[in-house]
Amino acid sequence: MWLQLARSNLRIVSLAILLSSAAAFADDRAEVSTSVFEERRQGDKGGLTVVHPQVDFGTDIGSHVSFDAGYSADAVTGATSTVYQVDAVSSATKFSDVRHEGTLALGFMGRRSKISFSATLGTERDYLSRQIGGDASIDLPGRNTTVDLAYSHSFDTVCDKDNGDAMPLERRALTGADECRKKDLILSSDIAGTTVWKDLSIDTAQFTITQNLTPTMNLQFAAYGQVLEGFQSNPYRRVRVGGNSPQEHIPDTRARWSTSVRLNRFLPKLHSAVHLSARFYDDTWRVIGADAELGYSQYIGNSLLVKFHARVYQQSAASFFKDAFFYQTESTAGEYYTGDRELSPVRSAMVGAKLTLITIAGDKPVWGLFDKLNFNVKGDLLILDQLPADPSLDNPMGIGTQFLYGTGLLDAVILQVGLLGTY
Amino acid sequence: MALRFSFSLVLLTVGLSACGRTAVRASEKEFLADQVMVFDNDPHEAASDDHILTNREGAAGGHGAGGGGCGCN
Repeated sequence: MWLQLARSNLRIVSLAILLSSAAAFADDRAEVSTSVFEERRQGDKGGLTVVHPQVDFGTDIGSHVSFDAGYSADAVTGATSTVYQVDAVSSATKFSDVRHEGTLALGFMGRRSKISFSATLGTERDYLSRQIGGDASIDLPGRNTTVDLAYSHSFDTVCDKDNGDAMPLERRALTGADECRKKDLILSSDIAGTTVWKDLSIDTAQFTITQNLTPTMNLQFAAYGQVLEGFQSNPYRRVRVGGNSPQEHIPDTRARWSTSVRLNRFLPKLHSAVHLSARFYDDTWRVIGADAELGYSQYIGNSLLVKFHARVYQQSAASFFKDAFFYQTESTAGEYYTGDRELSPVRSAMVGAKLTLITIAGDKPVWGLFDKLNFNVKGDLLILDQLPADPSLDNPMGIGTQFLYGTGLLDAVILQVGLLGTY
Repeated sequence: MALRFSFSLVLLTVGLSACGRTAVRASEKEFLADQVMVFDNDPHEAASDDHILTNREGAAGGHGAGGGGCGCN
């Protein structure tokens, strides 16, 4: 469920990237890749593993119409903390799930502009997502400025325990044994007394302007806004409040926005490029975050490209977030309580490298089809540092055991292998 | 705050649009057309990165659309 919700949050971004990149390549293209995410966990819980295959292709139909199709999946295995408390590890349960997602998009191209419409369907055991969206971009006179506008609306439904009219502190959490029934591929069905499907609507808009500043430097500015309305709790998660362990309870409405600046600078003498980016984020739950990233791309000959990058990130806690000890000993924060580590104060660092082997067709196409083929291998290391939500209060239990984190410095490893071809 | 943000956005947009007319001639776009100068030139990599980070952080979005480089829609 958590994968699907997060996926809904960023789908508009991915789609904008996909469609805009397709325009940038101005060629038919196909891409296939697989990512593996491995997160360490405490004790013998076996960590969290996510395998994420993706396949996309895009083609032009005549000179003014394009068609894009994509499929991705998440195969997740790992352990989750069912009760958010200071001893999360001993109460963790193992789980596995698979999510499928498909997208179709139709684009119409003018001489300097493009508009695309898309539909996406995502499904997993406890989550259904149906999204429609559009993306429009135009090159301003001079062809040095590209403006892009994207919007999407998601009609999502989340499977939850049927708690009837119970008050929040009396609500029971969903379990893996509860059946979440679907009528067909896109419709859900309640089971009275067992499970109900709850609505979540997500509206997302994004504005992007990309500007060529000099023959070797370009800049991009983006603004992003999103409103989520509906059930946003993790239905499986329980929080220890006093002597009880009710289902997590967080607000139904969240409005969020972020803005970012990115800059590329090509260094002709070195045959390399420097990449800089920074982002600021804020929302109505008072999570405030910022990140900065530095990258360096270096060609080695004409067919090998190496990229190094490093990123740092820090965020504050949501206004209703407390460390587990204080929910347990004090009570809720207003009417809400959560064990979502994404709402906790945290900082992280990521370093990685990517190797690209570039093959350009000579007299004959590569593999009989492609004008250009990129083979990519990428690896990232993730380090995460949990911070106390309220350092001014004494927390004798500490925060080291309230989430399922690894005890070493390294928190997660990400590997990606991909093939991108234009033809 | 929101007003100031919107005002800054408009200023930036107008500013960049104005310089776009004369900044770089078509004959000077050799380096801008290189794949390393295209934002999110590998859509799967960008989507995968966002996917992983959004599942670990409270923040989301804001990284912009892909493309750029030669500005050749």
